[in-house]
Amino acid sequence: MAIAAQPQMPRVWRAESKPHKFCPGCGHGIVLKALGEAVDALGIQERTIFGCDIGCSLLSWDFFNLDTIQTHHGRTTPVLVGIKRARPELVVVSYMGDGGAYAIGAQHLVSSASRNDLVTIIVVNNTVYAMTGGQMAPTTLPGQKTETTPYGRDVELTGRPMLGPELVAAIAPPGAYVARGSVANVVQLKNYIQKGLENQIQGRGIAFIEALSSCPTNWRTNAAETWRFLEKEMSAYFPVGELRTPEEKPAARLREVPAHGPKP
Amino acid sequence: MSVAFKPITTENGKGIFHLFPALCKGCGLCIEKCPVDTIGWARQLGAFGTPVVEPGHGKPCIACKKCQLVCPDAAIWIERRNGQGRTDALTAAPQAPGNEK
Repeated sequence: MAIAAQPQMPRVWRAESKPHKFCPGCGHGIVLKALGEAVDALGIQERTIFGCDIGCSLLSWDFFNLDTIQTHHGRTTPVLVGIKRARPELVVVSYMGDGGAYAIGAQHLVSSASRNDLVTIIVVNNTVYAMTGGQMAPTTLPGQKTETTPYGRDVELTGRPMLGPELVAAIAPPGAYVARGSVANVVQLKNYIQKGLENQIQGRGIAFIEALSSCPTNWRTNAAETWRFLEKEMSAYFPVGELRTPEEKPAARLREVPAHGPKP
Repeated sequence: MSVAFKPITTENGKGIFHLFPALCKGCGLCIEKCPVDTIGWARQLGAFGTPVVEPGHGKPCIACKKCQLVCPDAAIWIERRNGQGRTDALTAAPQAPGNEK
């Protein structure tokens, strides 16, 4: 029997669970496509562990033909670091939203970055808490209207949007890979994720990739306004690019770590 | 692949546009990204009962595959025509060196 044309999904996608559970126009599908293509390109499907967090990102629990674990509130990273320490031959991917990674679970992210754990962290930033109905998140842009900021986010009252990759780049030891991609540039995002996975496989240190993503449901936007907000306003506040690469010369304060302590 | 998706295949310009209505959720991201505005809404309904997309609304397809790239659901697959059924020399398949007959 001749087989009709089939969708060009990455091989690691689980076709039985498609169409996936994300809303129409959700950026999660594009980020997971980039991740799937990166896993395919490296040929590591048999030894990859995928961990998803609470929030919309947990809807990816049956997305891949990968061993998957779901934990809550940013603890995906420490759980996967435990797996990595017990079975160093595995490749672990921690997949979180901005609410789980920055608001509720920032302590796990900061600790993991300062330990330079061998884990690839992907944070999908869509500037709102999407699963609970679009409330203000740490990454909500100044003046952006959400469910809990009907007059726009007031930076005097609620602070400025959080810059996750800049935070990780500032505290991570040498060998870290930190980048920010966008679903508006899928090829670049796939390259960043692939470099992040390679960084972990080569044992150099933490890999942190933030992906700017869209949420048409909670932004209440049509397709044209979704792209405009993502490409013009979000990319202006959150600059896309690589912040740290393992090849670069580390800053002086990170290079030498002498032993300290009072002498008895 | 144990599941099979049924495509709607449309030939337009330089590309063969395969669309899988069981996957298309009608988000419209591809319509905005198309550089020649060839993609538009179709009468067929998709996974969520929303219209799916079809080519043939603007200029002919140039097979840039941007819609395939940005589709979150992998509902679009663009095949280049590779000169089969071509009408002019512009859409002919490029000959690899040493492969001429």
